Amino acid sequence: MEMFLMAAVMSLLAVAVSAALFAAATRDDRPEATGSVKRVALEPQRFFASAPGAGPAVQAGPEAESVPVEALLLRIEQHIRLEQAAAESFLHTPNGQSLHSPTTSRLVN
Amino acid sequence: MTTASADVLVGIAPQEAARVLALGASIRLSAGQVLFNLGDAAQSLFVVERGRIALTLPMTLRDKEQDVLIEERSPGQSLGWSALVPPHRFTLKAAAAVDTEVLALPRAALFDHFAAHPAVGYAAMRNLGAVVGHRLQVMQTMWLREVQRVVEISRA
Repeated sequence: MEMFLMAAVMSLLAVAVSAALFAAATRDDRPEATGSVKRVALEPQRFFASAPGAGPAVQAGPEAESVPVEALLLRIEQHIRLEQAAAESFLHTPNGQSLHSPTTSRLVN
Repeated sequence: MTTASADVLVGIAPQEAARVLALGASIRLSAGQVLFNLGDAAQSLFVVERGRIALTLPMTLRDKEQDVLIEERSPGQSLGWSALVPPHRFTLKAAAAVDTEVLALPRAALFDHFAAHPAVGYAAMRNLGAVVGHRLQVMQTMWLREVQRVVEISRA
């Protein structure tokens, strides 16, 4: 009888220790899994970052990014000239239509 | 440059205009040379005698400052009227677009002359008022057109 009780207590102790170890192991895994999910969710927002292993399609930005600075500068100066001409036209014949006449400027079209 | 071609001296008798121009000194600039920078103290009004002056404003493009051309001034046209208007600081940058010569008219000499010859001063300041007023009207119109665009974009 004593032997049976000792074996039963040892078995219960072994089960308890196993359960504790299992719980500890499960707790260690959870934060890592959540972190991975968060990283995966955040990655698509890095629009202009070149992700490791990303292809050319991912690295390409919007059209403005691909225009050289010199060309962009020319567009801005052309826009200013067109707007000055539109303003001169309005001052020559002031009315609502000439004030908000459409522009052919590539900067805003 | 003939005296009749200076915008600031329109309507002033040739001999009177010649006296005003005699207050100035010619400055030669090679292409690209800066006449004044944005924020510099404005001591002189300038009249372009030969060549072209580019008026620019700085703009940041891709984290780099670039000079954007706003206007050009050609022979007979004045620039640098900030010299006559407080707080006497230039609000644009001016540089020679090509080899250029400008006449620099110091503020103190001009104001002394205008005080001694009020009719000349009146005509010159009236001409200057027209130049400044026109610039204001053009800029005001350009600004309103941009505001309209912003309104349309924000509604879209």
